Amino acid sequence: MTSLKRSYASSTTPSTTLSSKTYLRTLRSGKVQKVVRELYLRQDIPCSSQLCSTCIDLAPAGFHGKQDPPVLSATPAGTTQYPQGHYLVPDTNAFLTAMDLFEAEDAARDVIVLQTVLEEVKNRSLPLYHRLIALTKNEGKRFYVFFNDFRLETYVTREAGESINDRNDRAVRKACSWYGSHLQDAVKARQSARCPAVVMLSDDRENLRKAKEDGLIASGLQDYVSGLPDADRLLDMVAASRDQRATRDEKAKMVYPEYMSMSAMLTGVKAGSLHQGTFSVSPYNYLEGTVHVPAFDRPLIIQGRENSNRAVSGDIVVLEVLPKDQWKAPSSKVIEEDDLTKNENAENEDESAEGVVTEKERRALQEEVKRAHGKVAEGKPQPTAKVVGVIKRNWRQYVGHVDKDSVRSEAKQSRAQQTVFLIPMDKRIPKIKVRTRQAGDLLGKRVLVTIDSWDRDSRYPVGHFIRSLGELETKGAETEALLLEWDVQYRPFPKSVLDCLPAEGHDWKVPADTADPGWKGRRDLRDLLVCSIDPPGCVDIDDALHAKLLPNGNFEVGVHIADVSHFVKPNNAMDKEASLRGTTVYLVDKRIDMLPMLLGTDLCSLKPYVERYAFSVLWELDQNADIVNATFTKSVIRSREAFSYERAQLRIDDQSQQDELTQGMRHLMMLSKKLRAKRMAAGALNLASPEVRIEAESETSDPVDVKTKQLLDTNQLVEEFMLLANISVAGKNYSAFPQTALLRRHAAPPKTNFEELANQLKVKKNLELRSDSSKALADSLDTCTDPSDPFFNTLVRILATRCMMSAEYFCSGTQAYPEFRHYGLASEIYTHFTSPIRRYADLEAHRQLAAAIDYEPLDASLQSKSKLEAVCKNINVRHRNAQMAGRASVEYYVGQALKGRVLTEDGFVMRIFSNGFVVFVPRFGIEGLIRLRDLGGGKEVESVFDAEEYSLSFGERKVELFEKLKVRIEDEAEEGTGKRKIKLSLV
Amino acid sequence: MAPYTNIPLSPAELSYLHTSLAQDPPIRPDGRSPTQFRPLVAETDILPSANGSARICFADGTEAVVGVKAEVERTGRKGGLVRGKEDGEVEGEERGEDGWLDVSIEIPGTRDDDALPVFLAAMLTEALLADGELKGRLVIGRVWHWRLFVDILLLSQPLSYPLPLLSLTTHLALLSTRLPALISQKDEDPLFNDDWEASTHLFPRQPTTNEPETKPPITLLVMTVGTNILFDPSSDEIAVADAIVAISATEDSKDGGLKMVALRTVDPPSRLTSAGVPTQANTTAGGGLSAEETLKLREKDAGATVWRPPRGGVSRTVLGRMIKKVVEKGGVGEEVLEGLRGVKS
Repeated sequence: MTSLKRSYASSTTPSTTLSSKTYLRTLRSGKVQKVVRELYLRQDIPCSSQLCSTCIDLAPAGFHGKQDPPVLSATPAGTTQYPQGHYLVPDTNAFLTAMDLFEAEDAARDVIVLQTVLEEVKNRSLPLYHRLIALTKNEGKRFYVFFNDFRLETYVTREAGESINDRNDRAVRKACSWYGSHLQDAVKARQSARCPAVVMLSDDRENLRKAKEDGLIASGLQDYVSGLPDADRLLDMVAASRDQRATRDEKAKMVYPEYMSMSAMLTGVKAGSLHQGTFSVSPYNYLEGTVHVPAFDRPLIIQGRENSNRAVSGDIVVLEVLPKDQWKAPSSKVIEEDDLTKNENAENEDESAEGVVTEKERRALQEEVKRAHGKVAEGKPQPTAKVVGVIKRNWRQYVGHVDKDSVRSEAKQSRAQQTVFLIPMDKRIPKIKVRTRQAGDLLGKRVLVTIDSWDRDSRYPVGHFIRSLGELETKGAETEALLLEWDVQYRPFPKSVLDCLPAEGHDWKVPADTADPGWKGRRDLRDLLVCSIDPPGCVDIDDALHAKLLPNGNFEVGVHIADVSHFVKPNNAMDKEASLRGTTVYLVDKRIDMLPMLLGTDLCSLKPYVERYAFSVLWELDQNADIVNATFTKSVIRSREAFSYERAQLRIDDQSQQDELTQGMRHLMMLSKKLRAKRMAAGALNLASPEVRIEAESETSDPVDVKTKQLLDTNQLVEEFMLLANISVAGKNYSAFPQTALLRRHAAPPKTNFEELANQLKVKKNLELRSDSSKALADSLDTCTDPSDPFFNTLVRILATRCMMSAEYFCSGTQAYPEFRHYGLASEIYTHFTSPIRRYADLEAHRQLAAAIDYEPLDASLQSKSKLEAVCKNINVRHRNAQMAGRASVEYYVGQALKGRVLTEDGFVMRIFSNGFVVFVPRFGIEGLIRLRDLGGGKEVESVFDAEEYSLSFGERKVELFEKLKVRIEDEAEEGTGKRKIKLSLV
Repeated sequence: MAPYTNIPLSPAELSYLHTSLAQDPPIRPDGRSPTQFRPLVAETDILPSANGSARICFADGTEAVVGVKAEVERTGRKGGLVRGKEDGEVEGEERGEDGWLDVSIEIPGTRDDDALPVFLAAMLTEALLADGELKGRLVIGRVWHWRLFVDILLLSQPLSYPLPLLSLTTHLALLSTRLPALISQKDEDPLFNDDWEASTHLFPRQPTTNEPETKPPITLLVMTVGTNILFDPSSDEIAVADAIVAISATEDSKDGGLKMVALRTVDPPSRLTSAGVPTQANTTAGGGLSAEETLKLREKDAGATVWRPPRGGVSRTVLGRMIKKVVEKGGVGEEVLEGLRGVKS
């Protein structure tokens, strides 16, 4: 009987090239899988060094049959340690701890990225993996991915009892030694003298020791970087090595409780004894976090550092609910990290003696508890919880500034390494401890840092510097800072994207010959009197409108949207980039486009007087603005005029204008008012958010003044027809693709969201806010007025907006039809269709609509539910980030506009704490905290806080919620940081 | 049991076989001694992605492959309540449940609900579960257990009754079966070491000699002809068996000897053979008998001179002897186990 077994040689010999590896995989369901992989080991994987002549022929041929040139330079840079030049072979932990070093422009070239390492990086951290992949694509850096696990000579099998990490370390060493001898041979063949050293870079002492034993050249990260020029700066980019941390471990006391094991957490979560959710920190109180868990309506509260146990805002954590006697009311006090921990010394390594919670923090919390116990109805104690483990860290790069007090004064000039605190811009992120040699240089600058670790023995997370963005408060630095904070992709479009643009560039025109393929399936609507109405100075014109009276007394109304999908074909580089960016981001002085300029502001933009491709929605509306029928078609239009809102308004109001275009606009105006009335009757919400406009000096674009935005009837005209178009398209797309239509929904907010606001209104103003349906809410919002104060209604609307859920994109197959509802617009179904130049969702909707009307076949990516879901998830995040970035930008400019001025303005009390209150100033759309301490000149003022009555009395004065008061606005440079802040105070 | 009924032997041949097997010492058609097994070839660990596997090929061409697969499963709580230790419930769970072992047999040309594979699977399952040791090993904790799937595949036509072949292959496969090493605590959701080399044998081995400490049972087929006891009968021999018995034996953990864990009698196909017809009763040969004469022939065994199907039945003493031959020290059981020990993966 011949054996059925496949004869794998137990060890690799030159004659065999077949091997297998076996490992076990525990699946999420708890099942365990035995995985057997066959491996064909090859000898034709090139080393890709320009020194080597034997590997040249092995290089794989590209698409055009042309071979890629070898990546690694023949004359790599030398250092003091390796004067003959060197290739780097980093192991996994080197990439994990010092990715920023590898990304630095001037360091780390000629790097061999082993497949083993690449895979390990991928398993450990996906973001780092993507950054590494980006590096390997960067030609100037000369990173080469060597598939060592497929090359016969460098493949290692796991030995009995060997952990996978040890096996991988061994694979790295084996690859190093192979490269070493391979290069020796290559150099000998060339008869050149210089043979670059192959340097294994590692942070693992054991691996380094073994490498030395094997006679390899190996170096620790710190040692290696120290030998480079400009070592100080580069050293900061390396996270504190494991060695340094290890030495500390022994003496340091553990200040935080240990995390549970992963399997224990998962079991607990499944069994319902533990809860999982995203940790978010209160912006007012850095010691209080909340986590929404599926099991409860209200979020769980996590108070204090010990309970939040090293979780950073955004992490996905596992919680254990605390016993009832430890339940507390949510904090009614403002606690800012700067105030309580101002004088801490970052250098102090024995800080643990103090415990995690400093005396001050403890006192602050203690008062909280007292208050919670004394209360009954409103401030009812709520379940609290503690973090027992972290499922996934969502650490990113943080922008911040160095805490001046943490820098030793004598060290400001010196180059000595010291530990400083970095205060992130985002108040919810704790201070980050950073070791640096350039503390002096970094003071007063915006810097980018990343968190590396947060060990049990350290009160604060430990991180490292990446780079400096520039001086605080300079426009460049601040803009870049907020783009980074909100993860906005702001780099110029890569060449591969620009290659997708039409070759004609700005000379592109709608073909004159209607037999041209571009005209196929398009309707010629050039004779329609179309115009566009946009904000002043708008260059990316998405939409244009027309209306005309039909002989039967009905109206023909058309909404024409830029035909972006004609230029951006699915799945090319431009489409991918756009889907990644998701949306155009508008900052006060800057626009970060989703699509390249050529398309956004020229070829797609429905500019006046030129012919453009469009996607048109045409309705026949009767006198009541009810839809008689709707058609969708690709078209060619010629816009007659581009109005600004004001100009359009003037033109409509000017009775001397009687031309057809103006008549059409008047029809539109009349119809839009009817549409609006109908929508409002159906329960659409009229919400408000503070919006201001910055007036800038045209030359320097320095802000001059701040104005609240004015709303004209023409704004609403455009809005109404866009809504109508979106709703019509949503219906059409859904009927054509019930499973995969990309729609937008706005979930009804849970009742509990409005409880607080309703109660506040009841107590303070004796008004009733009903939230059972959007109609009830809209109606009761209308009644929330204060005759003495017209702004009060807007204030309530602003507060109500904050209680809402945010609208989101989704794929129709993932929700039941009743869930499609758009709560705010009171529409059963909704999508985004009208702004394809600046939103990716609209572009996808265009493609679906084009397929729905049989204009072109639907791309496969739009037929897959899972792919669409991923797209939705991304654009939802991008959308929110873009809004936040825009808001942050406005905030910054408002601050700049107010610089050096002292103003007295009306303000409204929005929120009351036991030691201060938040005032909203409508004129500038800013809200600021007034603390009692500041009123008392730095000392806490005796005060009485009545949580049930929402009032705070101190001295003579009593401040109540919703009270209108005069505040003085001035800006103040913070002493510690030199950072400018707007400061409000009572007049 | 369709495959065994059409025995292609004439009454004369049957008679000859029976006579020679009934002699003392019996003469077997292939010249073996009564306790001698036909040569076999075996190998283990042939299926890389199974937890354990084996293949055995008998000299007559019958061949079987067995794959063992283990899956983690949540232990269903009885009564929906977690009962305390007082109830002895915990102990009960430690013992494991019969349902955790799933044996399925596939034989070419039969459906999986045919009597033969079902009966064979039941017989093998019964033997494996008899001493309760195996299912006890499948317990991971109070909440989780292994479920063992033993998939037996007969590759060839079932030329002889395939029970010993399947049993021996299953034995080898189970011996080579390894379970992933647990790294989580007992009652947590299980998490396993990703290293296959770290996995543990289902039948633990001595660390020094790598010999299994205990072994799964084997089931042997024993037949009688007259007072003779024959092991590992070939298909021809089965055709004339007076009685067939399947005896399952396993190592006794107390004295290291063997003990019987299960015994089944198998309906011998010889009972369905047709008896020889005397010439005078053969109508085609010009004969012909009256009804009375036919009855006489059948009742009085007048045709016994050629071949008469055995009526079955085995005496107590013979049965006792059969069991003894299997389990006694130096008996056939030990010999077989010793032979299988030589099979290395």
